[in-house]
Amino acid sequence: MNAEAKVEKKVKFGKKKEFDVEFEDRTPFWERVKTKYLSLNFLLNVVWAIFRYVLLVGIAYVILYPFIAKVAGSFMSKDDFLDVTVKLIPKYPTLDTYKAIITENRYFEALWNTTIVSLLCAVVQMVVTMVIGYGFAKFKFKGNMLLFYCVIFTMVVPHQALRLALFQKFRYFDIFGIIKLIGGEQLNLINTYWPLALLSFGGLAFKNGLYIFLMRQFFRGVPDELEEAAYVDGSGVFKTFIRIIVPLSVPMMITVFIFAFSWQWTDDFYTTMFFTKTSTYLMPNIVTVPASLGAAGFASANVYSSAIINTCALMIILPLVIMYCFCQRYIVQGIERSGIVG
Amino acid sequence: MNSAVKTKKAEPMTKPVKPPKKRKAKSLDKAKARVGYLFVAPFILIFFLIYVPVIVDSLRYSFSTIYPLAGGGFVLDNVGWQNYSDALFVDPRFVSTLTGGIQQLVLEVPAIIVFSLFMAVLLNQKMVGRTLFRAIFFIPVILSTGLIDDIDMNNSFANYAEGAEIGAEETETAGEAVSTGASNAIISAVDLQGLFSTMKIGTGLVTYVVDIVNDVYNLVNRSGVQMLIFLSGLQSISPAIYESCTIDGATTWETFWKITFPMISPMILVNAVYTVIDSFTSSSNAVMNYIGGVYEGVNTQGGDVLATAMYWIYFTLVLVIIAAVAAVMSAYVFYQRRD
Repeated sequence: MNAEAKVEKKVKFGKKKEFDVEFEDRTPFWERVKTKYLSLNFLLNVVWAIFRYVLLVGIAYVILYPFIAKVAGSFMSKDDFLDVTVKLIPKYPTLDTYKAIITENRYFEALWNTTIVSLLCAVVQMVVTMVIGYGFAKFKFKGNMLLFYCVIFTMVVPHQALRLALFQKFRYFDIFGIIKLIGGEQLNLINTYWPLALLSFGGLAFKNGLYIFLMRQFFRGVPDELEEAAYVDGSGVFKTFIRIIVPLSVPMMITVFIFAFSWQWTDDFYTTMFFTKTSTYLMPNIVTVPASLGAAGFASANVYSSAIINTCALMIILPLVIMYCFCQRYIVQGIERSGIVG
Repeated sequence: MNSAVKTKKAEPMTKPVKPPKKRKAKSLDKAKARVGYLFVAPFILIFFLIYVPVIVDSLRYSFSTIYPLAGGGFVLDNVGWQNYSDALFVDPRFVSTLTGGIQQLVLEVPAIIVFSLFMAVLLNQKMVGRTLFRAIFFIPVILSTGLIDDIDMNNSFANYAEGAEIGAEETETAGEAVSTGASNAIISAVDLQGLFSTMKIGTGLVTYVVDIVNDVYNLVNRSGVQMLIFLSGLQSISPAIYESCTIDGATTWETFWKITFPMISPMILVNAVYTVIDSFTSSSNAVMNYIGGVYEGVNTQGGDVLATAMYWIYFTLVLVIIAAVAAVMSAYVFYQRRD
């Protein structure tokens, strides 16, 4: 028996000399095996473990299957869609779909522009929400809670409701008529980076309320004694923040950065509102069916064009997947350490 | 810090009786409070300079008609409650979409919370391959948002239009694990009803469960962040409590209901509120989708202001739901320490 061999091995090499003396009157080996493995408790554990794995693998399959199917569909050529026998594995594999998307939909231009926008937003949002979250967590000033409720409020208001107002605000940008007073002309900030930059700077861009909330919870978990020790040693508030707090919160920063970057990357609300297609070519603009593929006028044209659209989706998320592979453990780590409590 | 020193020097003249240590702490607090404003300053600045005016504008637009001018700029014309009455009484589909959407929201929130709690408990247990499963389960958090969500949604619409027979093939090729037709449902209500008919469970409940199981892809996709929050909550429960329970002879089932559940109840509240917010602000939501259509509708004159009014109606309703959920649940939430 395997288990027997294992136990014997342990017995032989586990302890050295006094072993024989210590276990002289030990219960016989088979008795021990019986009580350990032939009990109801052990049986239940085994059943539970099997059940757990079946469930986890099943749901993991549900999550992964669309991606697998998308990848399979992206290599299929037109003939595969006409052939009924073709299921997941293409008979006539081709790279035409990818080529067409890269050349006709100007993939690399979109990739470059989106990278710039997302990186800019993510870095600014990470730093700003950290500073704001620290302010909310560690300083007791008048209106602290009230302002924090304002943050929650920005989370609750759907940004779609502000669509028209936001567009008009940045199309005819002015702060209390000051700019009109000086320059005489309202600024048109549409098609510039300013709207996103301004919103990010205030911690008011897409889902930033959540980041501020996460950061605040994280900093509330950091013991005050740490900062007090620094203050006693003569370090100022800002020095303490930069030298003590920032290095401490790296996992949380990475978490927020990943969220900000990837949610900005796939965002099609703010980007399509603030940028027109002709000025800055971004990821949402590449989601069309390239003309050269001829995905029209045959039996399964709909399926083919939706497979092409799915290939676009795959190419959009490709950089995110690569990033996720390297950074996924920080997400769990960061959230775990934040110790979110109501 | 400089100002702190100044106040410290100034105060002994006015109140010499108090012990010096206390006074020092007080002035330090004051100085810290001032620095606190500095930290929060970016938020205050942009919130009051841009965000509040935008909200005010948005509310104002919902009470007016908007005319763009040829030379740039626009004119607002106050029409009172007309947009709201148009939305509620003139638009043929808005009210039915709204009630349907709210109903769906109310039904989905418990499902998402129960599912994500269950999965978080599973993913928190020690087993082989835990890291891998965690990595897979949090993929939707990163990838199934915004644009990708929209693309997937359009696929399922295509599925729906295609009908059942091509639908089956499309599921294979176009990457939609979710079934919309009856042909590829995971389980069907009829089977389950046969199973449960002896147990005297109502058909309503059975169809509810069946719908959830068949929509498991959607469920998994939308419970990523909730799982993360629950997982963090589970991690914060001290293992010593579980240990003492086991020594006293509590079973796993008892431990879950007497220890894990109360300890994690604040997270349930947070998640309930988050789920409501998340699902009603996402653009894949039926109501949001409809209003978005109204916003972009070219044929309707003033669709944008009408849509803004609709958003505010919807927002008010959801706010009421959130308040109700928070009020009911906070009565049952257990806080380990109150501060």
